[in-house]
Amino acid sequence: MPLNLSQPKRKNAISLTPLIDVVFILLLFFMLTSSFVPWRIVDTPLSVPTDSQETIEEKENVILTLKLNDDQVWVDKQVIHFTDQTRFQGLIKDHQKSIFIIKAEDGVTLQTLMHLADRLKFNGAKTVSIANAFAMPETP
Amino acid sequence: MKIDEKFAKRIASDDDNMVPLINVVFLMLVFFMVAGQIKKADPIAVVPPHSINETRAANDPNVVIVVGGDNSLYVDDQLQTIESVQPYLDEKFSSSLNKEGFWVQIKADGAISLDKLRPIFNQVRLAGLTKVSLATQLERGKE
Repeated sequence: MPLNLSQPKRKNAISLTPLIDVVFILLLFFMLTSSFVPWRIVDTPLSVPTDSQETIEEKENVILTLKLNDDQVWVDKQVIHFTDQTRFQGLIKDHQKSIFIIKAEDGVTLQTLMHLADRLKFNGAKTVSIANAFAMPETP
Repeated sequence: MKIDEKFAKRIASDDDNMVPLINVVFLMLVFFMVAGQIKKADPIAVVPPHSINETRAANDPNVVIVVGGDNSLYVDDQLQTIESVQPYLDEKFSSSLNKEGFWVQIKADGAISLDKLRPIFNQVRLAGLTKVSLATQLERGKE
């Protein structure tokens, strides 16, 4: 009976080390370059400066004025807190076709302005304008 | 003969220990490739204001103005003074091919006061540009 002395065929396994090297480099690249901040945009259309500045306040618009970063807004000499949904909804219901124009005094932060715009939108306001908050104060 | 077999088995299983590691690394790689967006980093760290607004930009802005919490002003990644914004915008607008779609994005820190932003908006207005957008970040689960 002849002896089978040939070596058993071993499967040639490919080393995984170069593969994982490449995968680690790819992983590092994607980890360092990826951005997860969900950027959104709010349009703030500006008006071109003209000689005869027509103020839009004369129309039937609602002017909301931010004085401080205390989550309160002034409308017709009355204060509304940002959390007072009933008064916001009442105000929006009374002025359904109006534009809600937000103005801000010095010191008010951008986050407070966006917070108020969010409250108005959340409570059903159709048109909110924040561009006036960025207008330069008129010189007397 | 039995000793040989055992020896051969041990050699073959050297890389087998790395398979779970590779699995995890591959999963992480796929996650970062799918979930992340590759974008050029801002010249300074800016925390944009939170908002429920969902609007995304349809195309990339022609000019990006970054205003940091320390009032530093970067226009297209270059540190600028407020007075130099208008000439820069004029130059960019005149060299732009698509003048109708020309728009400026302002990335400002949420903690910045509005009176610091007004001169920047004024410069954009003086340059005759009307399409301006503020960058915000989506606020989830607060309402």
